[in-house]
Amino acid sequence: MRASFVFSEVVTGLRRNVTMTVAMILTTAISLGLLGGGLLVVRTIDRMQQDYYQRVETVVYLSADISANDPGCTSSTCSALRGQLESAPGVQTVIFESRQAAFARFQRIFQGQPELLQLARPEALPASLRVQLSDPARFPSIAKAFTGRPGVDRVTDQGEYLRQLFRALDGLRNATFVIALIQALAALLLISNTIQISAFTRRAEVGVMRLTGASRWYTQLPFLLEAVVAGVVGGVLAIVGLVIGKVAFVDRVLAGVFEAAIVPRIGYADIFSVAPVLLLVGSVVAALTGYLTLRLYVRT
Amino acid sequence: MIRLEHVSKSYRTSTRPALDDVTVAVGKGEFAFLIGPSGSGKSTLLRLLLREEVASAGDVYVADLNVGRLSQRRIPQLRQRVGCVFQDFRLLANKTVSENVAFALEVIGKPRHTIRKVVPEVLELVGLEGKADRMPHELSGGEQQRVAIARAFVNRPLVLLADEPTGNLDRDISHEIMLLLERINRTGTTVLMATHDHTIVDSMRRRVVELHLGQVVRDESRGVYGVSR
Ligand SMILES: Nc1ncnc2c1ncn2[C@@H]1O[C@H](COP(=O)(O)OP(=O)(O)OP(=O)(O)O)[C@@H](O)[C@H]1O
Ligand SMILES: [Mg+2]
Repeated sequence: MRASFVFSEVVTGLRRNVTMTVAMILTTAISLGLLGGGLLVVRTIDRMQQDYYQRVETVVYLSADISANDPGCTSSTCSALRGQLESAPGVQTVIFESRQAAFARFQRIFQGQPELLQLARPEALPASLRVQLSDPARFPSIAKAFTGRPGVDRVTDQGEYLRQLFRALDGLRNATFVIALIQALAALLLISNTIQISAFTRRAEVGVMRLTGASRWYTQLPFLLEAVVAGVVGGVLAIVGLVIGKVAFVDRVLAGVFEAAIVPRIGYADIFSVAPVLLLVGSVVAALTGYLTLRLYVRT
Repeated sequence: MIRLEHVSKSYRTSTRPALDDVTVAVGKGEFAFLIGPSGSGKSTLLRLLLREEVASAGDVYVADLNVGRLSQRRIPQLRQRVGCVFQDFRLLANKTVSENVAFALEVIGKPRHTIRKVVPEVLELVGLEGKADRMPHELSGGEQQRVAIARAFVNRPLVLLADEPTGNLDRDISHEIMLLLERINRTGTTVLMATHDHTIVDSMRRRVVELHLGQVVRDESRGVYGVSR
Protein backbone atom coordinates (compact mmCIF):
# COMPACT_ATOMS: atom_id res chain seq x y z
CA MET A 1 0.00 0.00 0.00
CA ARG A 2 1.49 3.28 -1.08
CA ALA A 3 0.35 5.85 1.44
CA SER A 4 1.47 8.84 -0.60
CA PHE A 5 -0.58 7.68 -3.56
CA VAL A 6 -3.75 7.19 -1.54
CA PHE A 7 -3.19 10.50 0.21
CA SER A 8 -2.84 12.43 -3.03
CA GLU A 9 -6.01 10.78 -4.34
CA VAL A 10 -7.86 11.95 -1.22
CA VAL A 11 -6.64 15.52 -1.61
CA THR A 12 -7.59 15.56 -5.28
CA GLY A 13 -10.99 14.17 -4.45
CA LEU A 14 -11.69 16.78 -1.79
CA ARG A 15 -10.43 19.64 -3.94
CA ARG A 16 -12.50 18.62 -6.91
CA ASN A 17 -15.79 19.19 -5.09
CA VAL A 18 -14.85 22.11 -2.87
CA THR A 19 -18.40 23.31 -2.31
CA MET A 20 -19.68 19.86 -1.41
CA THR A 21 -16.67 19.27 0.79
CA VAL A 22 -17.23 22.52 2.68
CA ALA A 23 -20.95 21.81 3.10
CA MET A 24 -20.20 18.30 4.29
CA ILE A 25 -17.60 19.45 6.82
CA LEU A 26 -19.73 22.32 8.16
CA THR A 27 -22.80 20.17 8.61
CA THR A 28 -20.74 17.55 10.35
CA ALA A 29 -19.20 20.23 12.56
CA ILE A 30 -22.56 21.69 13.57
CA SER A 31 -23.94 18.26 14.34
CA LEU A 32 -20.92 17.31 16.42
CA GLY A 33 -20.93 20.73 18.10
CA LEU A 34 -24.52 20.22 19.19
CA LEU A 35 -23.70 16.75 20.38
CA GLY A 36 -20.81 18.21 22.39
CA GLY A 37 -23.08 20.92 23.79
CA GLY A 38 -25.57 18.28 24.83
CA LEU A 39 -22.84 16.27 26.52
CA LEU A 40 -21.69 19.37 28.39
CA VAL A 41 -25.23 20.04 29.57
CA VAL A 42 -25.40 16.45 30.78
CA ARG A 43 -22.16 16.86 32.73
CA THR A 44 -23.39 20.10 34.24
CA ILE A 45 -26.70 18.59 35.23
CA ASP A 46 -24.98 15.62 36.82
CA ARG A 47 -22.74 17.84 38.85
CA MET A 48 -25.59 20.09 39.90
CA GLN A 49 -27.65 17.12 40.95
CA GLN A 50 -24.87 15.78 43.16
CA ASP A 51 -24.38 19.21 44.60
CA TYR A 52 -27.97 20.04 45.30
CA TYR A 53 -29.22 16.72 46.47
CA GLN A 54 -26.42 16.61 48.96
CA ARG A 55 -27.78 19.79 50.44
CA VAL A 56 -31.49 19.02 50.43
CA GLU A 57 -33.19 17.02 53.07
CA THR A 58 -36.35 15.08 53.43
CA VAL A 59 -38.05 16.21 56.61
CA VAL A 60 -40.45 14.16 58.70
CA TYR A 61 -42.29 16.65 60.93
CA LEU A 62 -43.41 15.15 64.17
CA SER A 63 -46.77 15.57 65.88
CA ALA A 64 -47.50 18.35 68.38
CA ASP A 65 -47.43 15.83 71.18
CA ILE A 66 -43.94 14.66 70.51
CA SER A 67 -42.77 18.18 69.74
CA ALA A 68 -43.96 19.32 73.12
CA ASN A 69 -43.07 16.39 75.33
CA ASP A 70 -40.14 14.53 73.87
CA PRO A 71 -37.10 16.84 73.53
CA GLY A 72 -34.66 13.90 73.19
CA CYS A 73 -36.63 11.54 70.94
CA THR A 74 -36.69 9.00 73.69
CA SER A 75 -40.40 8.08 73.60
CA SER A 76 -41.19 4.75 72.06
CA THR A 77 -43.10 6.37 69.13
CA CYS A 78 -40.28 8.73 68.22
CA SER A 79 -37.41 6.29 68.63
CA ALA A 80 -39.33 3.66 66.66
CA LEU A 81 -39.86 6.15 63.85
CA ARG A 82 -36.20 7.03 63.87
CA GLY A 83 -35.17 3.39 63.86
CA GLN A 84 -37.46 2.58 60.93
CA LEU A 85 -36.23 5.57 58.99
CA GLU A 86 -32.62 4.60 59.60
CA SER A 87 -33.18 1.11 58.29
CA ALA A 88 -35.28 2.22 55.30
CA PRO A 89 -33.52 1.65 51.93
CA GLY A 90 -31.73 4.66 50.47
CA VAL A 91 -31.45 6.51 53.77
CA GLN A 92 -28.04 7.82 54.66
CA THR A 93 -28.46 9.65 57.96
CA VAL A 94 -31.33 10.59 60.24
CA ILE A 95 -30.97 13.52 62.61
CA PHE A 96 -33.51 14.46 65.25
CA GLU A 97 -34.20 18.17 65.62
CA SER A 98 -36.10 19.08 68.74
CA ARG A 99 -38.47 22.03 69.04
CA GLN A 100 -35.74 23.96 70.89
CA ALA A 101 -33.16 23.19 68.26
CA ALA A 102 -35.59 24.21 65.53
CA PHE A 103 -36.27 27.45 67.33
CA ALA A 104 -32.55 28.12 67.75
CA ARG A 105 -32.05 27.59 64.05
CA PHE A 106 -35.00 29.85 63.29
CA GLN A 107 -33.41 32.54 65.42
CA ARG A 108 -30.14 32.14 63.60
CA ILE A 109 -31.72 32.39 60.20
CA PHE A 110 -33.79 35.46 61.00
CA GLN A 111 -31.17 37.24 63.09
CA GLY A 112 -31.56 40.36 60.96
CA GLN A 113 -35.31 40.64 61.46
CA PRO A 114 -36.01 41.24 65.16
CA GLU A 115 -39.72 41.97 64.56
CA LEU A 116 -40.14 38.51 63.20
CA LEU A 117 -38.19 36.99 66.08
CA GLN A 118 -40.37 38.76 68.56
CA LEU A 119 -43.49 37.27 67.08
CA ALA A 120 -42.14 33.76 67.01
CA ARG A 121 -42.72 31.27 69.81
CA PRO A 122 -41.02 27.90 70.07
CA GLU A 123 -44.50 26.33 70.31
CA ALA A 124 -45.15 27.22 66.68
CA LEU A 125 -42.29 25.04 65.46
CA PRO A 126 -42.54 21.25 65.29
CA ALA A 127 -39.74 18.85 66.09
CA SER A 128 -38.56 16.85 63.10
CA LEU A 129 -36.48 13.96 61.86
CA ARG A 130 -34.21 15.24 59.12
CA VAL A 131 -33.32 12.56 56.63
CA GLN A 132 -30.47 12.54 54.12
CA LEU A 133 -31.21 10.23 51.22
CA SER A 134 -28.38 8.62 49.30
CA ASP A 135 -30.69 8.58 46.30
CA PRO A 136 -33.13 11.49 46.10
CA ALA A 137 -35.40 9.45 43.87
CA ARG A 138 -36.32 7.43 46.96
CA PHE A 139 -38.34 10.27 48.39
CA PRO A 140 -41.81 9.15 47.21
CA SER A 141 -41.49 5.73 48.82
CA ILE A 142 -40.31 7.25 52.11
CA ALA A 143 -43.14 9.79 52.03
CA LYS A 144 -45.67 7.06 51.35
CA ALA A 145 -44.38 4.80 54.09
CA PHE A 146 -44.29 7.45 56.82
CA THR A 147 -47.16 9.82 56.08
CA GLY A 148 -50.02 9.25 58.49
CA ARG A 149 -48.03 7.13 60.93
CA PRO A 150 -48.64 7.81 64.60
CA GLY A 151 -46.42 10.64 65.70
CA VAL A 152 -45.91 11.95 62.17
CA ASP A 153 -47.42 15.25 61.18
CA ARG A 154 -46.32 15.37 57.55
CA VAL A 155 -43.38 14.48 55.31
CA THR A 156 -41.90 17.16 53.07
CA ASP A 157 -39.15 17.20 50.58
CA GLN A 158 -37.19 20.28 49.68
CA GLY A 159 -36.14 18.44 46.56
CA GLU A 160 -39.48 18.92 44.80
CA TYR A 161 -38.66 22.31 43.31
CA LEU A 162 -35.23 21.00 42.33
CA ARG A 163 -36.81 18.15 40.52
CA GLN A 164 -38.77 20.65 38.48
CA LEU A 165 -35.62 22.55 37.71
CA PHE A 166 -33.86 19.39 36.61
CA ARG A 167 -36.81 18.32 34.53
CA ALA A 168 -36.44 21.59 32.66
CA LEU A 169 -32.70 21.02 32.25
CA ASP A 170 -33.31 17.46 31.09
CA GLY A 171 -35.69 18.86 28.52
CA LEU A 172 -33.02 21.27 27.35
CA ARG A 173 -30.55 18.42 27.04
CA ASN A 174 -33.00 16.23 25.14
CA ALA A 175 -33.86 19.06 22.77
CA THR A 176 -30.15 19.58 22.09
CA PHE A 177 -29.72 15.90 21.36
CA VAL A 178 -32.73 15.82 19.05
CA ILE A 179 -31.42 18.76 17.04
CA ALA A 180 -27.98 17.12 17.01
CA LEU A 181 -29.56 13.95 15.69
CA ILE A 182 -31.45 15.72 12.91
CA GLN A 183 -28.30 17.62 12.03
CA ALA A 184 -26.36 14.35 12.08
CA LEU A 185 -28.80 12.87 9.61
CA ALA A 186 -28.21 15.84 7.30
CA ALA A 187 -24.47 15.35 7.75
CA LEU A 188 -24.70 11.66 6.89
CA LEU A 189 -26.71 12.34 3.74
CA LEU A 190 -24.21 14.99 2.69
CA ILE A 191 -21.26 12.70 3.31
CA SER A 192 -22.95 9.94 1.36
CA ASN A 193 -23.81 12.32 -1.44
CA THR A 194 -20.29 13.74 -1.58
CA ILE A 195 -18.85 10.26 -1.87
CA GLN A 196 -21.21 9.42 -4.69
CA ILE A 197 -20.29 12.60 -6.54
CA SER A 198 -16.65 11.94 -5.87
CA ALA A 199 -16.97 8.42 -7.20
CA PHE A 200 -18.77 9.73 -10.25
CA THR A 201 -16.17 12.38 -11.05
CA ARG A 202 -13.50 9.75 -10.63
CA ARG A 203 -15.23 6.96 -12.52
CA ALA A 204 -12.50 6.92 -15.18
CA GLU A 205 -9.81 6.39 -12.57
CA VAL A 206 -11.87 3.81 -10.75
CA GLY A 207 -12.53 2.02 -14.04
CA VAL A 208 -8.81 1.83 -14.77
CA MET A 209 -8.11 0.69 -11.22
CA ARG A 210 -10.63 -2.10 -11.54
CA LEU A 211 -9.25 -3.32 -14.82
CA THR A 212 -5.63 -3.19 -13.71
CA GLY A 213 -6.44 -5.33 -10.70
CA ALA A 214 -6.23 -2.82 -7.89
CA SER A 215 -7.50 -4.30 -4.67
CA ARG A 216 -10.66 -3.09 -3.06
CA TRP A 217 -8.60 -1.11 -0.58
CA TYR A 218 -6.88 0.88 -3.29
CA THR A 219 -10.10 1.74 -5.07
CA GLN A 220 -12.17 2.45 -1.98
CA LEU A 221 -9.77 3.78 0.62
CA PRO A 222 -9.53 7.26 -0.93
CA PHE A 223 -13.31 7.62 -0.73
CA LEU A 224 -13.44 6.29 2.81
CA LEU A 225 -10.66 8.64 3.86
CA GLU A 226 -12.53 11.57 2.33
CA ALA A 227 -15.42 10.76 4.62
CA VAL A 228 -13.14 10.33 7.62
CA VAL A 229 -11.45 13.66 6.87
CA ALA A 230 -14.89 15.26 6.94
CA GLY A 231 -15.59 13.58 10.27
CA VAL A 232 -12.30 14.58 11.86
CA VAL A 233 -12.18 18.14 10.51
CA GLY A 234 -15.83 18.52 11.48
CA GLY A 235 -14.97 17.28 14.97
CA VAL A 236 -12.07 19.71 15.33
CA LEU A 237 -14.26 22.61 14.18
CA ALA A 238 -16.93 21.51 16.65
CA ILE A 239 -14.42 21.58 19.50
CA VAL A 240 -13.18 25.00 18.44
CA GLY A 241 -16.81 26.09 18.29
CA LEU A 242 -17.43 24.87 21.82
CA VAL A 243 -14.40 26.76 23.13
CA ILE A 244 -15.54 29.93 21.36
CA GLY A 245 -19.06 29.36 22.65
CA LYS A 246 -17.75 29.07 26.18
CA VAL A 247 -15.58 32.18 26.05
CA ALA A 248 -17.89 34.41 24.05
CA PHE A 249 -21.28 33.32 25.26
CA VAL A 250 -21.60 31.05 28.29
CA ASP A 251 -18.94 32.78 30.39
CA ARG A 252 -20.47 36.20 29.76
CA VAL A 253 -24.18 35.54 29.85
CA LEU A 254 -24.03 33.16 32.77
CA ALA A 255 -21.30 35.04 34.68
CA GLY A 256 -23.67 35.93 37.54
CA VAL A 257 -25.02 32.42 37.78
CA PHE A 258 -21.51 30.98 38.00
CA GLU A 259 -20.55 33.63 40.55
CA ALA A 260 -23.44 32.61 42.79
CA ALA A 261 -22.41 28.97 42.32
CA ILE A 262 -25.94 28.14 41.24
CA VAL A 263 -24.62 26.40 38.16
CA PRO A 264 -21.15 24.87 38.22
CA ARG A 265 -18.78 26.57 35.82
CA ILE A 266 -18.06 24.82 32.50
CA GLY A 267 -14.30 24.57 32.28
CA TYR A 268 -11.86 23.86 29.46
CA ALA A 269 -11.32 20.51 31.11
CA ASP A 270 -14.97 19.70 30.48
CA ILE A 271 -14.67 20.63 26.81
CA PHE A 272 -11.51 18.62 26.39
CA SER A 273 -13.05 15.63 28.04
CA VAL A 274 -15.89 15.56 25.49
CA ALA A 275 -13.47 16.34 22.62
CA PRO A 276 -12.26 12.75 22.10
CA VAL A 277 -15.86 11.56 22.05
CA LEU A 278 -16.68 14.04 19.30
CA LEU A 279 -13.65 13.08 17.22
CA LEU A 280 -14.34 9.41 17.65
CA VAL A 281 -18.04 9.67 16.86
CA GLY A 282 -17.29 11.92 13.89
CA SER A 283 -14.70 9.69 12.28
CA VAL A 284 -16.36 6.35 13.00
CA VAL A 285 -19.80 7.46 11.83
CA ALA A 286 -18.32 9.10 8.73
CA ALA A 287 -16.32 5.97 7.90
CA LEU A 288 -19.37 3.75 8.31
CA THR A 289 -21.41 6.07 6.10
CA GLY A 290 -18.67 5.98 3.50
CA TYR A 291 -18.43 2.23 3.64
CA LEU A 292 -22.17 1.72 3.27
CA THR A 293 -22.36 4.23 0.44
CA LEU A 294 -19.62 2.42 -1.47
CA ARG A 295 -21.35 -0.90 -0.85
CA LEU A 296 -24.73 0.31 -2.00
CA TYR A 297 -24.03 2.78 -4.77
CA VAL A 298 -20.55 2.38 -6.16
CA ARG A 299 -19.55 -0.57 -8.27
CA THR A 300 -16.02 -1.74 -7.75
CA MET B 1 -3.80 -20.11 -21.28
CA ILE B 2 -7.42 -19.23 -22.05
CA ARG B 3 -10.07 -21.91 -22.02
CA LEU B 4 -13.86 -21.74 -22.31
CA GLU B 5 -15.86 -24.92 -21.83
CA HIS B 6 -19.50 -24.96 -22.91
CA VAL B 7 -19.87 -21.35 -21.90
CA SER B 8 -23.21 -19.61 -22.27
CA LYS B 9 -24.07 -16.10 -21.25
CA SER B 10 -27.54 -14.62 -21.16
CA TYR B 11 -28.08 -11.04 -20.13
CA ARG B 12 -31.10 -10.57 -17.96
CA THR B 13 -32.54 -7.94 -20.28
CA SER B 14 -32.27 -9.79 -23.55
CA THR B 15 -34.00 -12.90 -24.82
CA ARG B 16 -31.26 -14.35 -27.03
CA PRO B 17 -28.11 -15.55 -25.24
CA ALA B 18 -25.04 -13.41 -26.05
CA LEU B 19 -22.91 -16.55 -25.97
CA ASP B 20 -24.33 -19.99 -26.63
CA ASP B 21 -22.35 -23.10 -25.65
CA VAL B 22 -18.93 -21.74 -26.63
CA THR B 23 -15.93 -24.04 -26.28
CA VAL B 24 -12.58 -22.60 -27.32
CA ALA B 25 -9.00 -22.59 -26.09
CA VAL B 26 -6.09 -20.27 -26.80
CA GLY B 27 -2.64 -21.58 -25.92
CA LYS B 28 0.24 -19.83 -24.25
CA GLY B 29 1.92 -17.30 -26.53
CA GLU B 30 -0.72 -17.66 -29.21
CA PHE B 31 -2.20 -14.77 -31.21
CA ALA B 32 -5.88 -15.12 -32.09
CA PHE B 33 -8.51 -12.93 -33.71
CA LEU B 34 -12.08 -13.02 -32.50
CA ILE B 35 -14.33 -11.95 -35.35
CA GLY B 36 -17.98 -11.86 -36.13
CA PRO B 37 -20.74 -9.40 -36.94
CA SER B 38 -21.93 -6.79 -34.51
CA GLY B 39 -23.77 -8.36 -31.60
CA SER B 40 -22.21 -11.78 -32.12
CA GLY B 41 -20.79 -11.80 -28.57
CA LYS B 42 -17.12 -10.81 -28.99
CA SER B 43 -17.08 -8.18 -26.26
CA THR B 44 -19.11 -10.45 -24.02
CA LEU B 45 -16.49 -13.18 -24.34
CA LEU B 46 -13.71 -10.76 -23.41
CA ARG B 47 -15.72 -9.45 -20.46
CA LEU B 48 -16.09 -12.99 -19.16
CA LEU B 49 -12.33 -13.41 -19.28
CA LEU B 50 -11.92 -10.27 -17.17
CA ARG B 51 -14.69 -11.32 -14.82
CA GLU B 52 -16.58 -8.15 -15.70
CA GLU B 53 -19.44 -10.55 -16.25
CA VAL B 54 -20.03 -14.08 -15.00
CA ALA B 55 -21.00 -16.91 -17.34
CA SER B 56 -24.53 -18.25 -16.99
CA ALA B 57 -23.25 -21.76 -17.68
CA GLY B 58 -19.92 -23.46 -18.34
CA ASP B 59 -16.41 -22.77 -17.10
CA VAL B 60 -13.91 -20.04 -17.98
CA TYR B 61 -10.23 -20.50 -17.23
CA VAL B 62 -7.36 -18.04 -17.51
CA ALA B 63 -4.00 -19.59 -16.70
CA ASP B 64 -4.73 -21.66 -13.60
CA LEU B 65 -7.68 -19.55 -12.43
CA ASN B 66 -11.27 -20.68 -12.69
CA VAL B 67 -12.55 -17.22 -13.47
CA GLY B 68 -16.23 -17.75 -12.69
CA ARG B 69 -15.44 -19.18 -9.27
CA LEU B 70 -13.05 -16.50 -8.10
CA SER B 71 -14.02 -14.83 -4.86
CA GLN B 72 -14.41 -11.05 -4.99
CA ARG B 73 -11.16 -10.73 -3.13
CA ARG B 74 -9.17 -12.70 -5.70
CA ILE B 75 -10.48 -10.92 -8.79
CA PRO B 76 -7.54 -8.47 -8.67
CA GLN B 77 -5.16 -11.45 -9.06
CA LEU B 78 -6.86 -12.29 -12.35
CA ARG B 79 -6.85 -8.73 -13.62
CA GLN B 80 -3.19 -8.24 -12.77
CA ARG B 81 -2.41 -11.09 -15.16
CA VAL B 82 -4.70 -9.93 -17.93
CA GLY B 83 -4.08 -6.63 -19.71
CA CYS B 84 -6.78 -5.09 -21.83
CA VAL B 85 -7.20 -2.30 -24.37
CA PHE B 86 -10.33 -0.86 -25.91
CA GLN B 87 -11.51 1.02 -28.93
CA ASP B 88 -11.87 4.20 -26.85
CA PHE B 89 -8.39 4.06 -25.20
CA ARG B 90 -9.74 5.01 -21.73
CA LEU B 91 -6.79 7.19 -20.80
CA LEU B 92 -6.99 9.52 -17.82
CA ALA B 93 -7.29 13.00 -19.32
CA ASN B 94 -5.63 14.83 -16.44
CA LYS B 95 -2.51 12.71 -16.31
CA THR B 96 0.51 12.75 -18.62
CA VAL B 97 1.48 9.78 -20.77
CA SER B 98 3.96 8.44 -18.24
CA GLU B 99 1.59 9.13 -15.33
CA ASN B 100 -1.12 7.19 -17.12
CA VAL B 101 1.18 4.21 -17.46
CA ALA B 102 2.55 4.57 -13.94
CA PHE B 103 -0.99 4.72 -12.55
CA ALA B 104 -1.55 1.06 -13.47
CA LEU B 105 1.42 0.12 -11.28
CA GLU B 106 0.72 2.54 -8.46
CA VAL B 107 -2.77 1.18 -7.88
CA ILE B 108 -1.46 -2.33 -7.44
CA GLY B 109 1.10 -1.11 -4.94
CA LYS B 110 4.33 -1.46 -6.94
CA PRO B 111 7.29 0.28 -5.32
CA ARG B 112 8.27 3.64 -6.70
CA HIS B 113 11.74 2.65 -7.87
CA THR B 114 10.26 -0.17 -9.95
CA ILE B 115 7.81 2.23 -11.52
CA ARG B 116 10.57 4.70 -12.37
CA LYS B 117 12.48 1.95 -14.10
CA VAL B 118 9.81 0.11 -16.06
CA VAL B 119 7.63 2.99 -17.29
CA PRO B 120 10.31 4.44 -19.61
CA GLU B 121 11.14 0.93 -20.81
CA VAL B 122 7.59 0.18 -21.86
CA LEU B 123 7.16 3.63 -23.41
CA GLU B 124 10.20 2.89 -25.52
CA LEU B 125 8.75 -0.51 -26.47
CA VAL B 126 5.59 1.14 -27.81
CA GLY B 127 7.56 3.90 -29.54
CA LEU B 128 6.62 6.87 -27.37
CA GLU B 129 9.95 7.59 -25.71
CA GLY B 130 9.88 11.31 -26.56
CA LYS B 131 6.29 11.89 -25.49
CA ALA B 132 6.28 10.85 -21.85
CA ASP B 133 5.23 14.27 -20.60
CA ARG B 134 2.47 14.99 -23.10
CA MET B 135 -1.15 15.02 -22.06
CA PRO B 136 -3.47 12.57 -23.84
CA HIS B 137 -5.23 15.33 -25.79
CA GLU B 138 -1.87 16.34 -27.25
CA LEU B 139 -1.54 12.94 -28.95
CA SER B 140 -2.96 11.44 -32.14
CA GLY B 141 -5.41 8.56 -31.87
CA GLY B 142 -2.73 6.04 -32.76
CA GLU B 143 -0.41 7.45 -30.13
CA GLN B 144 -3.16 7.36 -27.53
CA GLN B 145 -3.76 3.71 -28.28
CA ARG B 146 -0.04 3.09 -27.84
CA VAL B 147 -0.25 4.62 -24.38
CA ALA B 148 -3.20 2.37 -23.60
CA ILE B 149 -1.23 -0.65 -24.80
CA ALA B 150 1.78 0.43 -22.74
CA ARG B 151 -0.46 0.71 -19.69
CA ALA B 152 -1.98 -2.72 -20.33
CA PHE B 153 1.42 -4.29 -20.84
CA VAL B 154 3.55 -2.54 -18.23
CA ASN B 155 2.83 -5.14 -15.56
CA ARG B 156 3.82 -7.91 -18.01
CA PRO B 157 0.46 -9.71 -18.15
CA LEU B 158 0.19 -13.29 -19.35
CA VAL B 159 -2.70 -12.35 -21.60
CA LEU B 160 -3.51 -9.19 -23.54
CA LEU B 161 -7.14 -8.74 -24.54
CA ALA B 162 -7.95 -6.14 -27.18
CA ASP B 163 -11.53 -5.17 -28.02
CA GLU B 164 -11.47 -3.52 -31.46
CA PRO B 165 -8.27 -1.63 -30.66
CA THR B 166 -8.13 -0.26 -34.20
CA GLY B 167 -11.82 0.59 -34.41
CA ASN B 168 -11.17 4.33 -34.19
CA LEU B 169 -8.02 4.41 -36.30
CA ASP B 170 -7.37 4.63 -40.03
CA ARG B 171 -5.74 1.88 -42.00
CA ASP B 172 -2.04 2.86 -41.78
CA ILE B 173 -2.20 3.63 -38.09
CA SER B 174 -4.10 0.39 -37.54
CA HIS B 175 -1.29 -1.47 -39.23
CA GLU B 176 1.27 0.08 -36.89
CA ILE B 177 -0.82 -0.88 -33.89
CA MET B 178 -0.94 -4.46 -35.21
CA LEU B 179 2.85 -4.49 -35.51
CA LEU B 180 3.03 -3.39 -31.91
CA LEU B 181 0.63 -6.13 -30.77
CA GLU B 182 2.73 -8.64 -32.70
CA ARG B 183 5.83 -7.42 -30.92
CA ILE B 184 4.09 -7.87 -27.59
CA ASN B 185 2.98 -11.32 -28.67
CA ARG B 186 6.60 -12.21 -29.45
CA THR B 187 7.52 -11.58 -25.80
CA GLY B 188 5.39 -14.64 -25.00
CA THR B 189 2.19 -12.81 -24.17
CA THR B 190 -1.00 -14.46 -25.36
CA VAL B 191 -3.04 -11.97 -27.43
CA LEU B 192 -6.75 -12.22 -28.12
CA MET B 193 -8.14 -9.45 -30.27
CA ALA B 194 -11.77 -8.84 -31.20
CA THR B 195 -12.14 -7.01 -34.48
CA HIS B 196 -14.36 -6.18 -37.45
CA ASP B 197 -11.40 -5.19 -39.58
CA HIS B 198 -11.02 -7.77 -42.35
CA THR B 199 -8.01 -6.09 -43.96
CA ILE B 200 -6.06 -6.61 -40.78
CA VAL B 201 -7.22 -10.19 -40.30
CA ASP B 202 -6.49 -11.02 -43.91
CA SER B 203 -3.00 -9.50 -43.83
CA MET B 204 -1.90 -11.13 -40.58
CA ARG B 205 -2.89 -14.73 -41.41
CA ARG B 206 -3.23 -15.69 -37.76
CA ARG B 207 -5.67 -17.90 -35.96
CA VAL B 208 -9.29 -16.78 -36.46
CA VAL B 209 -12.21 -17.68 -34.20
CA GLU B 210 -15.49 -16.55 -35.69
CA LEU B 211 -18.65 -16.02 -33.65
CA HIS B 212 -22.14 -15.79 -35.03
CA LEU B 213 -25.17 -15.23 -32.80
CA GLY B 214 -23.08 -16.29 -29.84
CA GLN B 215 -21.81 -19.55 -31.34
CA VAL B 216 -18.38 -20.47 -32.67
CA VAL B 217 -18.91 -21.05 -36.38
CA ARG B 218 -15.28 -21.22 -37.50
CA ASP B 219 -11.88 -21.75 -35.91
CA GLU B 220 -8.92 -21.75 -38.32
CA SER B 221 -5.26 -21.60 -37.44
CA ARG B 222 -4.18 -19.33 -40.32
CA GLY B 223 -7.47 -17.83 -41.30
CA VAL B 224 -8.81 -14.86 -43.24
CA TYR B 225 -11.86 -12.76 -42.45
CA GLY B 226 -13.71 -15.04 -44.82
CA VAL B 227 -16.77 -15.20 -46.98
CA SER B 228 -19.46 -15.28 -44.39
CA ARG B 229 -19.45 -11.53 -43.93
N1 LIG C 1 -24.91 -5.28 -20.67
C1 LIG C 1 -25.74 -5.90 -21.54
N2 LIG C 1 -27.03 -6.10 -21.21
C2 LIG C 1 -27.86 -6.73 -22.04
N3 LIG C 1 -27.51 -7.19 -23.24
C3 LIG C 1 -26.24 -7.02 -23.63
C4 LIG C 1 -25.29 -6.36 -22.79
N4 LIG C 1 -24.11 -6.32 -23.43
C5 LIG C 1 -24.31 -6.94 -24.61
N5 LIG C 1 -25.59 -7.35 -24.75
C6 LIG C 1 -26.16 -8.09 -25.87
O1 LIG C 1 -25.39 -9.24 -26.05
C7 LIG C 1 -25.16 -9.50 -27.42
C8 LIG C 1 -23.67 -9.55 -27.69
O2 LIG C 1 -23.10 -8.29 -27.43
P1 LIG C 1 -21.54 -8.00 -27.56
O3 LIG C 1 -21.31 -6.65 -27.06
O4 LIG C 1 -20.81 -9.11 -26.95
O5 LIG C 1 -21.36 -8.06 -29.13
P2 LIG C 1 -20.07 -7.71 -30.00
O6 LIG C 1 -19.78 -8.90 -30.80
O7 LIG C 1 -19.00 -7.18 -29.15
O8 LIG C 1 -20.64 -6.56 -30.92
P3 LIG C 1 -19.84 -5.30 -31.53
O9 LIG C 1 -19.05 -5.86 -32.65
O10 LIG C 1 -20.94 -4.41 -32.02
O11 LIG C 1 -19.04 -4.71 -30.45
C9 LIG C 1 -25.88 -8.37 -28.17
O12 LIG C 1 -27.12 -8.88 -28.58
C10 LIG C 1 -26.07 -7.30 -27.13
O13 LIG C 1 -27.25 -6.60 -27.37
MG1 LIG D 1 -18.04 -5.29 -28.92
